[in-house]
This record gives sequence, structure tokens and C-alpha cells, in this order.
Amino acid sequence: MEDMMKDRVEQLVDYIMKNCLWQFHSRAWDREKQNEGILTKTMQILCEEPVEKETPMDKVYWVDAVCLADAFKKRYSWLAALDKGEIKLLMQGLKERMDYLTITGSLNAELTDPHY
Amino acid sequence: MPYHKFKCSECIPEREKHAVIKGPGEDLTSALPLGYLNTIPGSISERGCAYCGAKHVIGTPMKDVIHMSHGPVGCTYDTWQTKRYISDNDNFQLKYTYATDMKEKHIIFGAEKLLKQNIIEAFKAFPTIKRMTLYQTCASALIGDDINAIAAEVMEEMPEVDIFVCNSPGFGGPSQSGGHHKINIAWINQKVGNVEPKITSDYVINYVGEYNIQGDQEVMVDYFRRMGIQVLSTFTGNGSYDDLRSMHRAHLNVLECARSAEYICNELKVRYGTPRLDIDGFGFEALGTSLRKVGLFFGIEDRAQAIIDEETARWKPEMDWYKERLQGKKVCLWPGGSKLWHWAHAIREDMGVNVVSVYTKFGHQGDMEKGIARCEEGALAIDDPNELEALEALEMLKPDIIFTGKRPGEVAKKLRVPYLNAHAYHNGPYKGFEGWVRFARDIYNAIYSPIHQLSFVDISKDEIPDQTSFLTQKMISDVNLSEEVTASKELREYTGNYDTITPLRNKTYPDFPAEKKLSAV
Ligand code: SF4
Repeated sequence: MEDMMKDRVEQLVDYIMKNCLWQFHSRAWDREKQNEGILTKTMQILCEEPVEKETPMDKVYWVDAVCLADAFKKRYSWLAALDKGEIKLLMQGLKERMDYLTITGSLNAELTDPHY
Repeated sequence: MPYHKFKCSECIPEREKHAVIKGPGEDLTSALPLGYLNTIPGSISERGCAYCGAKHVIGTPMKDVIHMSHGPVGCTYDTWQTKRYISDNDNFQLKYTYATDMKEKHIIFGAEKLLKQNIIEAFKAFPTIKRMTLYQTCASALIGDDINAIAAEVMEEMPEVDIFVCNSPGFGGPSQSGGHHKINIAWINQKVGNVEPKITSDYVINYVGEYNIQGDQEVMVDYFRRMGIQVLSTFTGNGSYDDLRSMHRAHLNVLECARSAEYICNELKVRYGTPRLDIDGFGFEALGTSLRKVGLFFGIEDRAQAIIDEETARWKPEMDWYKERLQGKKVCLWPGGSKLWHWAHAIREDMGVNVVSVYTKFGHQGDMEKGIARCEEGALAIDDPNELEALEALEMLKPDIIFTGKRPGEVAKKLRVPYLNAHAYHNGPYKGFEGWVRFARDIYNAIYSPIHQLSFVDISKDEIPDQTSFLTQKMISDVNLSEEVTASKELREYTGNYDTITPLRNKTYPDFPAEKKLSAV
């Protein structure tokens, strides 16, 4: 079960890494906001929950989230068989993995530069 | 860490951490080279200087401006016209280059007077141009000429002109990238917010990090206009100086080359609250998703979808013709900064071409993260390679083609590897749906060129084939293809025109009346 979950998270990570750019902003604080904003909204879309998109910042996260949710649904047929609880768990795993790959485990020495 | 040690660089041990091979199971936390550091003494780098990065990459594509270098003529002359950033005002900014022509005596006695005289002369020589950018070079920076004071003096005497000062001498960073950074920050500090624009649409963007190489910007702006979006400014290809002073009024910054221009987007976000949306203008799927995102942001997704459907129907069969013939070819993707990640995955998806190596001369670790993430296993990633390392990599990887700049490209030819110009393009534009097919056509023509095949024959020892004196690309490329492919009625070679840009300049666009009350400035 755990292996299956891990494997599925890796599939989603692979899609993001090959197709998206939002996860690679230049500073750690921006990456945190991007990962949090976009992946939370993606989870809400997949779970058919309401999504905040009133402010420009929320809207720009939502735009990436809509495209990501569509791509996940199109590519990974196993997603349709998951219930909301399972999707939330999966997306939590994805967020942790993305945070590790792009922030906490990143070897990019510029992430902590205090200026742009 | 899967570092790769080049034999030719064994005498420069520090180089080891600048190259990695993405092995099985490796990810970015274990495979990432160092980047954006000073070039190691002994390693002959192919980088540009920070002045060149500021002026010739970012400053000069601005079209209605006199771009003046304060320094010896060599600084500007030797870096002039290295990129084909065209513009719709008869390429004013490409046709001329200006320098104050500093000599030894100015180093001793100062060159401020000379600078002022040059500024006034240039404005007089081009009386319709009222905007100027001034660039520091090593020489003028080292003697401490106060360029800002001279610019202010001239602006006071000639109130109709406006001058921007870019203080990015050649030594101002490890590479041209230091100059990209400096000019981004200088522009937002000095100029953004100075002009209030006329807003004509409910949907207003800045198109940032786009330099109109062979018309790329005009292709993308055409899509945005078809969607009823006002492109307030382009930073900086085919961009206008005064439009760029009004960047603060856009609703969204659409960012293409994050390497050269993410700084200004980040600052616009902090200072004016404008969100940043990173997009890819290359690749069918990536470009389609990018247009869709911009459409979604403004609630006009249907307009984006209509363009995606129309363009895909028109150009996909032509792309697939090339894909059949390029499948499995190996490429060294060795451009400057952003194309290593813009292209890495898209050329595999749309053309079936495998990236066996990425390199960047001035990219930062963030660019390598994006590039390596988009490559498959086994790819060799090199930061700031020297020429010998590049040669060793080509011998080892045996690519079918290399996408790079003019200098390394000519070197690759000697190893009989055809090259395409990744900076200035061969037969661009390469952006947009049609542009992507033009790129595939150039790749196809390079790999299957009969002349190139001849280069494999060594006249000193090989027998010269006399039976195959007539060859075409198709005769070479179609040998192993199935009849289903060669006789396909669906697939076809590129059928577009030689010049795809001029018609865009005279085009009329659908009228989407604005709903909100717009500024009447
Ligand atoms: S390094 Fe200095 S002297 Fe050389 S081209 Fe650049 S600005 Fe000019």
C-alpha cells in the first residue's frame, strides 16, 4: 500500500518536473508559497471543494492548479478510483515530496539569498 | 554526488563539481552542478561580460532608443549584432551602435565631457529619437565617471529627452548574467512608474523575458491580441522605452525567460502586487497550456482554446511529418540559459529527439534544476564548460546534432556534428505553433543534409562513393520508414511562408469591447 502510494506520488512529481515551471522560483520563500498555493488548490479542485481565487495572487495559483488537475486526471486513470480522503493523502505526500526536492533538500545555493 | 570528471580538466580539479550525470534514481537533491560562480582560472570560458549581458541581451532589443556605450569602441562593436532581435520600426536598434570612443587620454583626464558631447551629437543625428540608454564599461567605471550626473544634466538642458543609465561594467558579475540582473533592477528603480499608459482592454499584461529573436515576440503578441489582451509592454524585444516605463499598470506579468528577467517580475510583485506567471512559448502542448493559463487568468479561456484548436489543426500534421523522421536522434542542448529548460522536454515530446546533454555558460543552479528535471536519465549537465570539455563531451556522446551558439557551433562542425543556432536561430521564428515546425524543419535539414553526409568521407583514405552522386534529405531520411508513413496523406512537410512576420504587422484584430471603465490617460 505504502509502495503504491509512493509510486503514485513519483508519477505526479515526474509530470510536474517535466511540464511545469512554477515550482522553480528563485528563492526559498517563493517556492514555499508556490508549492503551498498551487498544490492546495489542485487538491481542492480534485476533491471538488471550493477554491479561493478572488485576489490576483490566488488567481494565478488557481490557473496553474486548474491545468495541473486536468493533466493529472487525463494522464493517471487510477486517480478516478480514489475517494476524497485518499486524494488528500496523496496530495499531502506530493506536497511533502515537492517541498523536499525544491526547497529543503535542494542543492541550489541561491535559494537563501535575501535579495532578488 | 554523480559528478563527472573530464579528462581534459584533470589539471583543474575545481571543475569537477561543475558537471553531473543524472544516473538512475538520481534527483535534484543528488545531481546538481555548481553554477553562476567566477570562472576558474585556467579554464577558458565562453562566457560574455556583464556589460554585454546588460546591453546586448536586454537593453538593446528596446526599439526606439539610442543605445550608447560609454567606453572604447571595441566593447560595443565586438558584441554588436550577435543576436537577431528584430523590430517593427525598421530595426533601428540593430542598425546602429554607438560608443563614446574612450582613449588612453580619457582614462587619465576623465571622459565626462566626451560623454556629454556624444549624447548631444547622437540626439542631433537622430532627431526623431528622444530616448537613450547609457551603458558603463570597464574603462569608464574604473575611472569613476559620473554617468548619472551627465545624464541628469542633459535631461535638464533637453527636456524632451529621457535617458536611462545602466551601471553594469564588464567586471560586474561572473558572466553576462550579472548584467541581466543589474539592468532589471536599474530599470525598475529608475523608470517603472514614470509613465501612465492608455489602457484599452480589460485584460492587460506585460510580456517579460522575450527578445523577439527573428520575430518570436510578434508571434506571441499575435496570439494575445487575438484573445483581446492588451500587451502593455514587452521586456524587451520589440519593446518601446515609454511602454516599459508603465509596466506597473499591467494585471499580470507573463514571464518567458526567467533567467534574464525574473528579477523584474519578482520586484513588480513585491512593489505593485502584480502576479508572475511563467510560461513556455515553445512546444505544442507547453504553448497550448501557457495560452490556456493566460486565458483562465482573465476568464477568457474559450478564446485561448479557439487559437489552440485552430493552430494545432493547421500545424500538427507538419510537425508529425518531422517527428517520424527525427525519432530517436540525439541532441546536445547547449544554449545560453533558458532554452535548456524551455526545449529539453518539448523536443522529446513533439519531435522524438533525445537530449543527451545540457549545458549553460551563464545559467544559475535554478536553470540547471529546471533543465535536469526535464531531461531523461543519463543526461550530462555541464556548467560553464570550456572548449576542451565540450569537445570531450561530443566525442563521448556522439550526438546527431547540437543546438548552441555560433562559436561552439563552428567547433562542433569540425567534429562533423551539425549545429543549429540556439541564440539567433537559423530560419526562425521558432516560437509559436508554426515556429516550432520551422525549428523541426531546420533540425531535419541539418541532420539529413547531403552535404553534411559528405563530411563523413575522409578523402585521404576512404573510397569516394560515385553511385550516389544525387541525394536529397528525403532520400536519406526515408530509407527505413514504413510505407504507411512515407505514403501518409495526413502528414506533410512544412508549407508555411518564408516570411511569417511582415503579415502580422498589418493585421487587424477582432474587437472585444472593454466592459470595465478604462483610463483615458
Ligand atoms: S569586459 Fe569590459 S572591456 Fe571587455 S567588452 Fe566587457 S565592458 Fe568592455
